[in-house]
Amino acid sequence: MNLLEVNNICKTYGNGETSVHALKKVSFCVSKGENVAVIGESGSGKSTLLHIIGALDTPTSGKVEIGGKDIFSINDRKLTIFRRRNIGFIFQSFNLIPELTVEQNIIFPMLLDYQKPDKKYLEELLTILNLQERRNHLPSQLSGGQQQRVAIGRALITRPSLILADEPTGNLDTQNSSQVIALLKEASKKYEQTILMITHNRRIAQSADRVLQVSDGVLTDLGRRRE
Amino acid sequence: MKSYLGLIPISAKLRRRQNRMTLLCIIFAVFLVTAVFSMADMGIRMEHTRLLHKHDNLTFQDVMNSTTGQTLCLTAAAFFVLVLTAGVLMISSNINSNVTQRTKFFGIMRCIGMSKQQIVHFVKLEALNWCKTAIPIGVILGIIVTWGLCAVLRFLVGGEFSDIPLFGISLVGVISGIIVGIVTVLLAARNPAKRAAKVSPVTAASGNSENTVPINRAAKVNLFKVETALGIHHAVSAKKTLTLMTGSFALSIILFLSFSVLIEFVGYLMPQSAAASDINISSIDTSNEVDRTLLDKIGKMDGVKHIFGRRSVFDIPAQLNSNTVEIDLISYDDFDLDCLVKDDMLKKDSDISKVHGNSNYALATWDKDSILEIGDKIRVGSEELEIAGLLKYDPFRSDGLTDGEITLITSSDTFIRLTGVTDYSLLLIQTTRDVTDEDVTAIRDILDQNCTLNDLRDQRTSGTYTAFVFCIYAFLAIITLVTVLHIVNSISMSVSSRIKSYGAMRAVGMDKHQITKMIAAEAFTYALSGGIVGSIAGLLIYRLLYNALIAAHFSYAVWSLPTIPLLLILLFVCMAAIAAAYIPAKRIRSMAISAAINEL
Repeated sequence: MNLLEVNNICKTYGNGETSVHALKKVSFCVSKGENVAVIGESGSGKSTLLHIIGALDTPTSGKVEIGGKDIFSINDRKLTIFRRRNIGFIFQSFNLIPELTVEQNIIFPMLLDYQKPDKKYLEELLTILNLQERRNHLPSQLSGGQQQRVAIGRALITRPSLILADEPTGNLDTQNSSQVIALLKEASKKYEQTILMITHNRRIAQSADRVLQVSDGVLTDLGRRRE
Repeated sequence: MKSYLGLIPISAKLRRRQNRMTLLCIIFAVFLVTAVFSMADMGIRMEHTRLLHKHDNLTFQDVMNSTTGQTLCLTAAAFFVLVLTAGVLMISSNINSNVTQRTKFFGIMRCIGMSKQQIVHFVKLEALNWCKTAIPIGVILGIIVTWGLCAVLRFLVGGEFSDIPLFGISLVGVISGIIVGIVTVLLAARNPAKRAAKVSPVTAASGNSENTVPINRAAKVNLFKVETALGIHHAVSAKKTLTLMTGSFALSIILFLSFSVLIEFVGYLMPQSAAASDINISSIDTSNEVDRTLLDKIGKMDGVKHIFGRRSVFDIPAQLNSNTVEIDLISYDDFDLDCLVKDDMLKKDSDISKVHGNSNYALATWDKDSILEIGDKIRVGSEELEIAGLLKYDPFRSDGLTDGEITLITSSDTFIRLTGVTDYSLLLIQTTRDVTDEDVTAIRDILDQNCTLNDLRDQRTSGTYTAFVFCIYAFLAIITLVTVLHIVNSISMSVSSRIKSYGAMRAVGMDKHQITKMIAAEAFTYALSGGIVGSIAGLLIYRLLYNALIAAHFSYAVWSLPTIPLLLILLFVCMAAIAAAYIPAKRIRSMAISAAINEL
């Protein structure tokens, strides 16, 4: 069963002779629970694709369906709520809220929904991410690896069906990178979540279920990993 | 491009939106100075014309030496300094934020070989480049506003302002505007230019150009909703901004309250009564010998707008609380009684409606030492009068104090019933705008030898009063406008510095409404702290100024809390906070989330 369906997505910046085609008729599907890596050169259109799938940007043409829902057919307010509840984001530069503690950062999407977090689930996440003792620290008091673990926690707290990660290990050393990826996989497996991850790291890409390559705005499916 | 300085107009075109506020500040400073100096110049020209009517041989120096000339020059000079200071502060903070936003750009310039001196030169010339458009706009605005103000003074205020030139262009005004524009920009660009020159070339290489303020305390998300808590935290965590913003809000409150005292002071200096007369006709020996039929006769004559009379008897015995006292009794016609209400002369709980017609009620003059109260009864002859209201002071004495004497005001009918006197002691005439000297002579000609006519038309102060109050309000409007612009700009800069963080919040699910609430919470935190500090300091200063300017010179003046001015300025503070939140919130809302995340 497909969780994500991307149909003929095009994205063009500018007009006329100066226009740049960042994405050219990109189409693909991702099944529920699948772990997909997106690779490509800098400026090839990977981040644009991820931003469009996450409804952070709009395509020039084409359709994106998540769980059977055409995300660009709903209004902005509903789309924000949909994103808050169904999509988890992990950025290369963490993008934590500097004024909130680790725990507050993790439950931030729940706070935006004016809901109380499930305490048992929060403790479980803090344990998996090994952040129990850092729960009252501010992001500025954490290392890069710890900050990215908080970002993973924030992406998982609403139990979203889709996790979008834009080079989550780009700012981390090798050891922290392996830890973060392992955690992400463990969590997604446990909670049956789909992961779409941009990476430059060949090892991480090879460990994904499937690899997609973007080159000059054109997407090529490089196929599934052999067990 | 002939040199590296050719980058300046290109950069100005690309950064048009970011430079808008700076341009606005320069236009504002130039406009203000042009308008103020042009108005002062027009005032001097008016004085010159007025004095020329009186004296034939008059030089420009004579005008400059006149009190009006000197006051105008001094006021214009004070304005100049004030506008220059405000302008330098505001433009400097704009250029500073401009430089901060382009730290990486200056790093790159340094990387590819621009010297520190060249950077300083670049920033200063960039600032001067704004003057090319801002100064002409400011000057033209200043000239147009001067024409408008002159028209208002000439046609609406009139009186002594009838000679003010209508479409004059003041060279002094235009030159002052241009000078203030250039000097302000050069002074304002000095520090930011030095700051830009200090940027290390490593900044460009490392890409580490974000200015991060260390955060030591977490937001209180358990006390407020998360967006409100974050907004409050943004306001209170940056101590320097909080102090500046609190100061800006507080300053507008303090200035407003201080100027309210000034307006009240002018009111005491030049009391503007609805019953103020242009011509008085009185009996020679203060007796009631002005024939009552004159009222109708004069009322029908040319140039007369209103005519009303007063009768008076002094030192008549009366009984108050079983004590014998002497009182003065004065009659007021209905128009005169109505004017007491219009002039807000009556104390609280007074009921003037009881006094009208043939009644048993009277009004009494009052001061702090007066023993009379509303409801007191005074027996005059065989009749008993009840006090229906009290005046705030004694209008029949120059110091406003009763000196322990009782003066009662009754209606005409009540006075005639009590005393049997029907003729007047005083007739007061308000003339029409087009009254001529011939009209006044005609009135004088019908008077008999028992009456004397006083022509008070030259002593009218309503024109000066209106012009003075108008100037105070204009000054107040300018100050508040500058403050609002500064507040809006500061909050806008605060938002700009967090734009990436806002982008991240939007990405993880904060909706546009929540973003607006967060910015509004920040703006209202500044407004609240400014409101508290401003109200306390403003009231203290109000009290001090009141004592020094009013209470010390007008002993009948009673201090009371300036509730209306305070509520007005607090309302204005709220509106400023709404405006300050609305503009940057709108900018964030219209920005694509991916663009906000990729900012910087």
